[in-house]
Amino acid sequence: MLLQLKNIFKWVNSGGQRIFLLKDINFEVSEGEFISIMGPSGSGKSTLLNVIGMLDGFDEGEYHFLDESVHSLKEKHRSNLYKEYIGFVFQSYHLLDDLTVKENLEMPLLYKKYSSSERKAKVADMLDRFNIVGKKDLFPAQLSGGQQQLVGIARALISNPKLILADEPTGNLNSKQGEEIMELFKKLNDEGVTIIQVTHSEKNAAYGSRVINLLDGRMI
Amino acid sequence: MFKNYVKIALRNLWKNRLFTIIGILGLSIAFGVATLLTMDSLHELSYNDFHSNGDKLYKVFITWQIPKGTEVGTSHPTPFAAALETEVPGIDKITRFVEEEALTIYNEKELGLDAVYVDGDFFEMFSFPVLQGVRENILTDVSSTVITKSTATKLFGDEHPIGKTVTVLINGKNKPFIVRAVSADEPENSSIEFDIALPFEKHPEYEETKERWNAQYHSVFVQLEESVSAKTFEENSRAFTNLHYQGASENLKRDGALPNANGNFLQLGLLPVTDMRFVSYNKGYVEISRAKVFLVLGVAFLILFIACVNFVNMSIAKSAQRLREIGMRKTLGAEKRQLFLQFWGESLIVFIISLGTGVLLSFLLKDNFKTLFDTGATFDILLSPIILFIALLLVLVISLIVGGYPALLLSRLTTVQSLKGKLDSSGKNHLRDALIVLQFGIAILLISGTFILNEQLDYMRNKDLGYDKEQVLSFPLNGKKDSYDVVNLLREELKNNPNIIAITAADNNLGRGRDGSQSSSVWGFEYKGKNVRTNALTVDYDYIKTLGLELKEGRTFDIARESDTQAVLINESMARELEEETPLTAFLPAGDSVSFAIIGVVKDYNFQDISKTIEPLTFFLDRERGLTYAYVKVASSNMADSFTSIENAFKKIEPNAEFLGSFLDENVDRTFRREKTMAALITSGSIIAILLSCVGLFAMSMLITNQRTKEIGVRKVIGASVASVTYLLTKDYLKLVLIAFVISTPIAWWFANEWLQDYANRINLSWHFFAFSGVLVLLIAVLTISTKTIKSALANPVKSLRTE
Ligand SMILES: Nc1ncnc2c1ncn2[C@@H]1O[C@H](COP(=O)(O)OP(=O)(O)OP(=O)(O)O)[C@@H](O)[C@H]1O
Ligand SMILES: [Mg+2]
Repeated sequence: MLLQLKNIFKWVNSGGQRIFLLKDINFEVSEGEFISIMGPSGSGKSTLLNVIGMLDGFDEGEYHFLDESVHSLKEKHRSNLYKEYIGFVFQSYHLLDDLTVKENLEMPLLYKKYSSSERKAKVADMLDRFNIVGKKDLFPAQLSGGQQQLVGIARALISNPKLILADEPTGNLNSKQGEEIMELFKKLNDEGVTIIQVTHSEKNAAYGSRVINLLDGRMI
Repeated sequence: MFKNYVKIALRNLWKNRLFTIIGILGLSIAFGVATLLTMDSLHELSYNDFHSNGDKLYKVFITWQIPKGTEVGTSHPTPFAAALETEVPGIDKITRFVEEEALTIYNEKELGLDAVYVDGDFFEMFSFPVLQGVRENILTDVSSTVITKSTATKLFGDEHPIGKTVTVLINGKNKPFIVRAVSADEPENSSIEFDIALPFEKHPEYEETKERWNAQYHSVFVQLEESVSAKTFEENSRAFTNLHYQGASENLKRDGALPNANGNFLQLGLLPVTDMRFVSYNKGYVEISRAKVFLVLGVAFLILFIACVNFVNMSIAKSAQRLREIGMRKTLGAEKRQLFLQFWGESLIVFIISLGTGVLLSFLLKDNFKTLFDTGATFDILLSPIILFIALLLVLVISLIVGGYPALLLSRLTTVQSLKGKLDSSGKNHLRDALIVLQFGIAILLISGTFILNEQLDYMRNKDLGYDKEQVLSFPLNGKKDSYDVVNLLREELKNNPNIIAITAADNNLGRGRDGSQSSSVWGFEYKGKNVRTNALTVDYDYIKTLGLELKEGRTFDIARESDTQAVLINESMARELEEETPLTAFLPAGDSVSFAIIGVVKDYNFQDISKTIEPLTFFLDRERGLTYAYVKVASSNMADSFTSIENAFKKIEPNAEFLGSFLDENVDRTFRREKTMAALITSGSIIAILLSCVGLFAMSMLITNQRTKEIGVRKVIGASVASVTYLLTKDYLKLVLIAFVISTPIAWWFANEWLQDYANRINLSWHFFAFSGVLVLLIAVLTISTKTIKSALANPVKSLRTE
């Protein structure tokens, strides 16, 4: 088992009222799964993904990741955890505009303990694997949306995470580009990477092995 | 990692190069100004700190209880020093000291030198090291003299100075002196300045006053013994004053003065030599104030502060563009500490560049600065290890605060928050607003100060002083001939020149002439059972006419009446002081059998600095006393020609003397030197302050307007007019400037009022100074902001919407 959520509640207080963003979320994810989270806009999909990714906290419940109890970990420990095991892919890519493709790929490694030669090797490997060697010195603004998302995924993968979290990774892409990305995810999943994606498209959801449906912060 | 930070930092700075340049420019100017002002302040504070016995050296002053309160004197009678040394325990060394201009002659050379008459201990007490010649018992031989190195070069060129005989003109007579020693030139930060030191016994007053306790004309310095404190010494000196000033005490008591806390009417006091630069006796007590130095440091601080505020505000506004980067870095595993270091590092780069250019700037401008602010400060004073260390520490601390605060803000954001790319704008703007208010508050403060100072200066410059200052010029009679002869020769020489209206002379100048000296001479006597003190002025005929003074009563000195040498003129203040209904019938006692008849009353005029009230003044026609300044009134046309003919006439009479003529209005102007420096400081300070504030405001409005591009677009699509959008973008700032105005006006008023108290003749503080500065700042601010806001308000909304 990779991770387990038990009775997770998340809320915000607004005008004396408690507004629930997540209500009583319970599920388990095993290694090697490919899960899609679906639901109408505003149902809490991104919120849930952020909680899983430890970018955001929650108010009640338990969260176990590998052997750790995330809910009782200190911030620093938590960031070490996601740094090591989780890669993120975003709808709007979130590449750093001031860095070249190569430098963007290198970035996650800089926050971990890798030697310079190790970093070079890993970056070269990724560039090769994603067929973007020719683009390595370009800046994100000089790439197409699909290419940018490719770089985004490559960046998420570079430190060999166990889990990839993707929030509408194809949302900004045309259907052809979207299909390519989904094929890539499928391939990664076959290689053993666990994937959780948020998507609005039934077609994309079909790539996965399981679907979690949300409505008003609650699983249905 | 580090390389990556630097790379990102440089790319980021380059990407925002306009803001980078604005930031660097502002900080450089601030650092440059701060460097110069600190240099000046440190120089001021270092005055007289070079004497190795400095902590034991004091100037002796005496506080008198007078009917109107207290009065401090630093002049002492000739026998005072010797008696003090023998009667009061604790004195290690003592010297009398008086500074005078002395014409010094060697072969063909005649130099007007700055002479000090001192006792033998002088060179042992003060650290003016002897470079050549004898080192002990200096000046004990009354025909010996010590000259400074630069004087030696001026007099003897390359010749060996020791043993040479120079002649000094004392009281109209040539006195020979043998050069026994050459001392190092006094440092720039010395209050005691001299070119030549002469034995005190050779002072012109010495012989006549050897035994007299009522002729006070020189100061006294003491060096206390190691174990004795100034306070103990002052207490121990009471028996001394009671003994030697018994008569004076009784007179004071009779005139209605109240004794001090110890029941005495006179009390000696010791002023540390290190405080000499900062002392004032004007208020009747010893007041030591380094406020002016701290004002200068304060201005430096304020300017630095403004530049730093700009930097903080710009960093925060700019960082909104970098929220996604922060969020992304966090999801990739960056820790708070790493983010903080990254952002602080970027600020540090800017800081280091600015510091470098700032120091360079100050180095380039230091000569202009020195003339403008009339300071002898040098860069060397900044080069001491301690100062450098403090400066470095300060820069590090400032950069930590200024660069660190925005860095902290950014690094603390939660990941999700920053990924959304929006700052929670509610709380954080309070600090920004507070900083802007403070910034403009400072600008308004300095601008009001500028207006008030310049207004006061203008007032003093244009005030009718009661004499003609535009058409009269004065010059020192610094030659070898008898002064009365010189004046008569001048009259003879210039009598056919139609542009010369009148010529006279006196033993004092009006204002401060080109020779830079100012003096006063006070005469006290008993009149109808009351002590009266008056300023005394010896004049030649035509003084009233030449200076255009107004005679209220009686007549002026008449060359046809020989008895007029026994007569005096007085001013109105003196008439009031005498409490005489009909002053023209009164006589002033001048000795046991002699008395002076008052023949006329002159309307009050400002014969001293304008900052002072007009004191009693008595004019003498004392042919025994030498005249020191000649006055010539010229016609209002061809003034330059007249000046040249006077100069030529004087040169003809005194071929070896330097002609130092200047018109009296220039002389008066020279007495405002302090005010002028201060005005220059505050004016340039406020210009820089407002400039920097505006640069900051401009950058801020640009950044914020950019961030609100979308909002502006939406508003316009909905139907808002250009005017309403401009108003929307501008009104927040205007509110801030108004708050700044409300806060800083009372502060400015308080400071200005305090400052003006020092002037007997002063302007009234009226509301329009403050209103004007407020409106000015408001206008500048509006202009600054609106250049950007109007442009974006006018922009095509479709275009601005598309950019998001
Ligand atoms: N900080 C917050 N304060 C208050 N409400 C919030 C906050 N963050 C999210 N929400 C609310 O939580 C709900 C879920 O938001 P979330 O972003 O998870 O939706 P989503 O399912 O990802 O929608 P979409 O498909 O449009 O991306 C929304 O109704 C949103 O208004
Ligand atoms: Mg979402």
